[in-house]
Amino acid sequence: MMLHYFLRRTFLIGFVFVALTVLAFSLSYLFPGDVLTNVSGLTNIQPEQQQALIEYYALDQSLIQQYIAYVNRILDGEWGLSFSSQQPVLSEIIAVFPATLELASYALILSFVLGIPLGLFAAVKADSFFGQLISGITLIAYSIPIFWWALLLIMLFSLTLGVLPTAGRINVLFDIPTTTGFMLPDIWLSDIRYKSEATQDALRHLLLPAVVLATFPTTVMIRFTRDSMLAVLEQSYIKTARAKGLSRAQVLYHHGLRNALLPVIRQIGLQFSTLITLAMITEVIFSWPGIGQWLLDSIYQRNYPAIQGGLLVVSCLVIVVNMLTEILHTLFNPLARKA
Amino acid sequence: MKKFRLYFEEHNRGPLTQLWQQFQRQHAAVLGLVMFSFFLLLTLFAPLITPHNPYLQNPDLLLLAPSWSAEGLVQYPFGTDDLGRDLMSRLMKGATYTFGIALVTVIGSLLMGLALGAMAGMSKGVKSSIFNHVLDLALTIPSLLLAIIIVAVLGPGLWNTTWAIMLALLPQFVHGIRNAIQDTLKQDYVAAYRLDGASNWQVLRYAVLPNIWEHLTVMATMALSTAILDIAALGFLGLGAQAPTSEWGVMIADALDLIYLAPWAIALPGILVFASVLSVNLVGDGLRTAMKKRREN
Repeated sequence: MMLHYFLRRTFLIGFVFVALTVLAFSLSYLFPGDVLTNVSGLTNIQPEQQQALIEYYALDQSLIQQYIAYVNRILDGEWGLSFSSQQPVLSEIIAVFPATLELASYALILSFVLGIPLGLFAAVKADSFFGQLISGITLIAYSIPIFWWALLLIMLFSLTLGVLPTAGRINVLFDIPTTTGFMLPDIWLSDIRYKSEATQDALRHLLLPAVVLATFPTTVMIRFTRDSMLAVLEQSYIKTARAKGLSRAQVLYHHGLRNALLPVIRQIGLQFSTLITLAMITEVIFSWPGIGQWLLDSIYQRNYPAIQGGLLVVSCLVIVVNMLTEILHTLFNPLARKA
Repeated sequence: MKKFRLYFEEHNRGPLTQLWQQFQRQHAAVLGLVMFSFFLLLTLFAPLITPHNPYLQNPDLLLLAPSWSAEGLVQYPFGTDDLGRDLMSRLMKGATYTFGIALVTVIGSLLMGLALGAMAGMSKGVKSSIFNHVLDLALTIPSLLLAIIIVAVLGPGLWNTTWAIMLALLPQFVHGIRNAIQDTLKQDYVAAYRLDGASNWQVLRYAVLPNIWEHLTVMATMALSTAILDIAALGFLGLGAQAPTSEWGVMIADALDLIYLAPWAIALPGILVFASVLSVNLVGDGLRTAMKKRREN
């Protein structure tokens, strides 16, 4: 049963990757400009080079062979050159990607830590004042445009109160050598003298972007946990457990929580794509040097090889997280294995 | 509130009336509906009722403060921007862009989704399996990222944004409509209708569609809030509507340079985006609750 399930998943993920590379490949043709320039990323190609390059990129062959050559290049890590810097796209992505992952994972953790308990509380005390209050606040936070929310917080904490910085990951005075690309581990791994000051500064830079980015996933988590818990509490096995004489807390923990959190696992995967999109906007506002800002800069500069690479990486990340959460969900929930 | 009933009368109201009865019991949802109607009217009549020309630059009145401060003028309730354009007129005209275009994209996307979803829902076997996989792919790419990619291909601009968001919303519509249709097809009354000799089209038209339209409305409200946020976000990022257009997201981006001088120029368009999305969400939530309660009764 599980084997069959994994085989199906593997087939599906293979299909999705093929479709994704076809999309990225076709972008070289869809984007305006010369195809050879779009594929290679070389901005001024000499006439004598042209023939060799066309042969190298297999542009004189059929579309299918071009596509195969493209996939081979992607697998070899040869993603073309960025128009603006003439550096390999892949190395640029590797340089900016950890910053996004760092921001997104802190926001995700924050949304768990806040969202699940609040959602449970709102479900258990659905009719109390606090339950209603939580539901009202989530509806408000759900509707707020993230860029405006970020600006409001900047206006309050950075411009008026002057307590938090507005841009970047750390004060430029600190010189942190890059080892992992993640700021906090980098600080702890480095052998600098001012570690605690650097950590403090990095945390102060992290606070606003993480709170802004966490707002939407937290509200989704609260709403979803609440709805899921409310649905579970109406099941007959809850009544059975109560009838057996278990206390309210026991019923909530053993029968309610475990069943209510199962769909929540799945929700993480579904919300991850939204999280990444919101991370892109957050990065632009807070000048956070992640892949979102890099991708948007590439769009402003019509940097087509970079857009292609960015699309591939971001979509792959979303798909992998989706698959992982779905597999986790299936492992935890025997009922889902039948489908 | 049961009325005294003298005779045993059956009170069978139509589904719409029942839905409305459940809906109007929720005060928040009714408030949302009032706000929604306000934005709808503003969208339709903004060009007629703006007090000033939203694009007219008045060099004598640059960066006028709003009328509630001492320096403000009552003719310019929200003040003027750095080019001397009346902020209130621009905000009113902005409803046409942000709210109006979001409505258009959702309606367009809904119609396309209905056609594709019906095709997917009524088909079986390999064709539907391939379709599912393509949908799964499209659903994994975030709608805003998809819109950004489409804009990167087409180039920035309000109309390209409209197309981009329409296409970006399409997968979730197709997915939802297909699932709704397939759920309805399993019902006994559909089987009975088929036994009566109904063709596929007749089943869809007379048995399926009347039973999923509530679902469609809820889906459309969810898509509408996404569309408003996406249009404003693309405008803010400079990928959607371009500078002189008074789209709310663009207005926020324009006012960024003045964040110290005129913070209200950032706050006001944001409040409008927020209020319009909130109204849509309130209506959507209210509809969903009303639907659930109507089914339970």
